[in-house]
Amino acid sequence: MPRTNELTLLPKLPLLITESADEFDALRDAFEQEIKPRGIIEQIYVHDISAIVWEILRLRRCKVVIINLALRSALQSLLKQLLRQSGQYEYEVEDEAQTLAQSWFTVQEAKKQVSEILSRFDLDESAIEAEAIRRSSADLELLDRMLASLETRRNKALGCVAEYRASLAHQLRESADRIIDGKGVLRLEDAPSERSTAA
Amino acid sequence: MASERQIAANRRNARKSIGPRCGAGKKRASRNAYRHGLTLSVISTTAVAKQLDKLVRKIAGDSKDAMVLERARAIAQAELDLARVRRAKVALIERASAFGELNPPQLTVTQMIRLLNAFDRGRLIVPKPIDALATMPSQEPDRSAEAVRRVLPELRKLDRYDRRAAAQRERAVLEFSDRMKYMDNP
Repeated sequence: MPRTNELTLLPKLPLLITESADEFDALRDAFEQEIKPRGIIEQIYVHDISAIVWEILRLRRCKVVIINLALRSALQSLLKQLLRQSGQYEYEVEDEAQTLAQSWFTVQEAKKQVSEILSRFDLDESAIEAEAIRRSSADLELLDRMLASLETRRNKALGCVAEYRASLAHQLRESADRIIDGKGVLRLEDAPSERSTAA
Repeated sequence: MASERQIAANRRNARKSIGPRCGAGKKRASRNAYRHGLTLSVISTTAVAKQLDKLVRKIAGDSKDAMVLERARAIAQAELDLARVRRAKVALIERASAFGELNPPQLTVTQMIRLLNAFDRGRLIVPKPIDALATMPSQEPDRSAEAVRRVLPELRKLDRYDRRAAAQRERAVLEFSDRMKYMDNP
């Protein structure tokens, strides 16, 4: 969709090198279709809402990746705990845990072996994910706070569009009423007499 | 907690201080209040000033009323402030993605103790530089996500400026529409 004149006045949203400008434009177009902004103020709000939603999507993507990135160290730590026999120190099983955790992602045999170890303790693969979440909980908490703040701002911006639109509608209604009542508008029948008075 | 006598002594001693004396100290102290410049006025360059003026004209329409123009300027300024904070956020993430972190790596306490112990024994160890980039994932989207993770505290701080600019804009829009209503029906 071609950019309207008003949109070219608004500062462009900076994107990461890996993000697509077309995807952002599509998102903004979708909001424009829904909200149908009229005038620059409503355009500003739609632009803001799209930027906030874009940031929300970026942070949500990060959340998933952060957990995924913590999976290997989580599995290694879990295996160290599970492989250790009584009387053994953790460092004694460290190498085995490390090798197994590394190959778990690519080697089917390793995956099977890890499942067996987990099942010995009535655990399954969700234990690995739980450990990954536990290990990244500080980052996830920060991300969640930022997401909550962005969601509040998005809702507020949506409310502002509605409020502004209602206020504009009220203003237009009052103007229309005044025109209908003839207040402040020159009546046609008064026009000649006013002209003759002036003369 | 400090006793009354201690507080009095601290105040007496503080009165004796006349601030930094050397050039470097004075220069450093002159930048005490400066952190990142996000609270500075947005009209710092001609290009931005022009963009601001265009936006103000578009918001105010053909109104000549000083109050309308002033409110329109407040809306436009808050909008450009928001854009500046967003640019700062993206720039931080890109920098972390390119270099692995924002600040040069510091020695940990353990490494420091190890160095001192070696020095005591008459040996000098040259510490290996810590390469933050080496621990960055090479593939996307992992790399960007890791960059975001590494700058999370900074992003959270920028969020405060983001919220403030948005609140300023909302206030200005309210006042702008009130003024427009008044102009229509004085």
